Amino acid sequence: MDSLETFIVESAIASEQEFYRKIVEDNIASLKLALAIGRIRVVLRPEDSLFQMVMILRDIGTKVTMSDIADIEAKPVAGEMIISIKKEQYIPELLGKLWERYGKANISQPDRWTVAISTDRPEEEAAFLQEMMVADPKHKLHENLVDFAIRVTPEGFRVRYHLYKGNSFIFVASEEALKHEWIEEAGAMLKELREGGRK
Amino acid sequence: MPVLLPYLYTGGVYKHGLLIELLEDLGGYVIQKVVTGTEVNLIMLIPERDVDILKKQSDELLGVMIEAPLTGVEIAVVSPTLASHHLPHSACDVAEYLRHPGANTNMIGLARGMGRRVSLSMDYERRLVNEHDIAVFTFGSFSDCIINKKPKLFEGIEIPIVVTGGPDLKTEEVPGADLYVGNLGRTSHRLRKTEEIDALNKLNEGVGNIADNIRKQQAKDPLAVIPARAMKEIENQVPEIHSVLSPAPLTLQLNGVRVKLPYDEFHKKIESLEFDEGVILSELANISRSTMKNYILIKIKSKSDVGFAI
Repeated sequence: MDSLETFIVESAIASEQEFYRKIVEDNIASLKLALAIGRIRVVLRPEDSLFQMVMILRDIGTKVTMSDIADIEAKPVAGEMIISIKKEQYIPELLGKLWERYGKANISQPDRWTVAISTDRPEEEAAFLQEMMVADPKHKLHENLVDFAIRVTPEGFRVRYHLYKGNSFIFVASEEALKHEWIEEAGAMLKELREGGRK
Repeated sequence: MPVLLPYLYTGGVYKHGLLIELLEDLGGYVIQKVVTGTEVNLIMLIPERDVDILKKQSDELLGVMIEAPLTGVEIAVVSPTLASHHLPHSACDVAEYLRHPGANTNMIGLARGMGRRVSLSMDYERRLVNEHDIAVFTFGSFSDCIINKKPKLFEGIEIPIVVTGGPDLKTEEVPGADLYVGNLGRTSHRLRKTEEIDALNKLNEGVGNIADNIRKQQAKDPLAVIPARAMKEIENQVPEIHSVLSPAPLTLQLNGVRVKLPYDEFHKKIESLEFDEGVILSELANISRSTMKNYILIKIKSKSDVGFAI
């Protein structure tokens, strides 16, 4: 499945549909979700105060461990470890975890690609860090998806239903109490999307 | 009384005092002075016949002087709420663009303005909006909402109402609106495309026309004192105004001035403000506590109310 291979926004009035498509596009861009979403379909019925969105997500990789993003060198004599970063994009998460474990005072960053940690047991700690999980894109994705759903929904639609299961995501929102059919409709939309979706 | 024209001067800080002195000698007023680094922006009211003299001085200083038709107009930009759905785009973009021709804008986010059936405005919010000269409501992308649901937010608003939204509607289709500007609906990106900028220009032009209409209406029964003069007197007689850190400590309106000083402490001083002719401000204006923070709101009475004008 390619990223965003199906991208449909439906509304009764064509010009409004274009406006809304732009809003969805902008939010996908600002939350960097383009690679994570395979197929998406949004249906708007302002006259019923109804917003439905279904998505099929792409596989976005597994957990990232330390060995994937950096090399660690233990220096027992100096009592420190040197971490050489290979992939910069995970530095914020990595530093967060390191600060928690060793304290900010024991960590320094001589340059962009290097993190130095002073510790009493560099070798054991290096072995531990090697296997440590740095980031879980899946967890982050869930957070972003919920944020995305809330951002693209018309603001007054505060009654919400959402389902995130496997690689599918259903979101239904309204201003009134949700009707059962609306959720079922969204389920049918998802099924259609899974079978290839309408282009 | 000479006719005063609003102008905006942009130029270097160096020697800009010459321009201010010349303006004051000619009987004009500096409404706002903003110094940013080595640049200065002056919003001024210039007597009609002396514009050329000031233009000459401005050319000498290598500055630019352009007309600023919304000078002395305080506009409320009302967004359904202050959530990320409306801010910073497009509500902030609208407010920022209205400032280009000289207006002072305040952004007001309603507490419960979102939604269709559930949207409503509170008495406090309506009073706050009514303190301004013009209200600009920034709505979303659905014509059904704009035509059928949102106009209930206009109830109790006594000032001219401008509505912005996505669909291309006619002003008559939006009940209660004095002007509708399309192509400015809900967006999540900065307004910078040609059609969006065109829409913003259209908005500025429309708001300018509404302000002109109010001015024309006023000319039939002029104010007892022009707001700019009251502002000048406050600057001279209430030195504390110079230490106020809010932007535009004295905000000019079409029929008054908002003074950003605490009411309890300063209202007596403002009321007893004396003009050269021997009248005091409370004879010419209603001075009340503003709904905005604890400021002082001066609404100047018309000549027919007071019996004379200075």
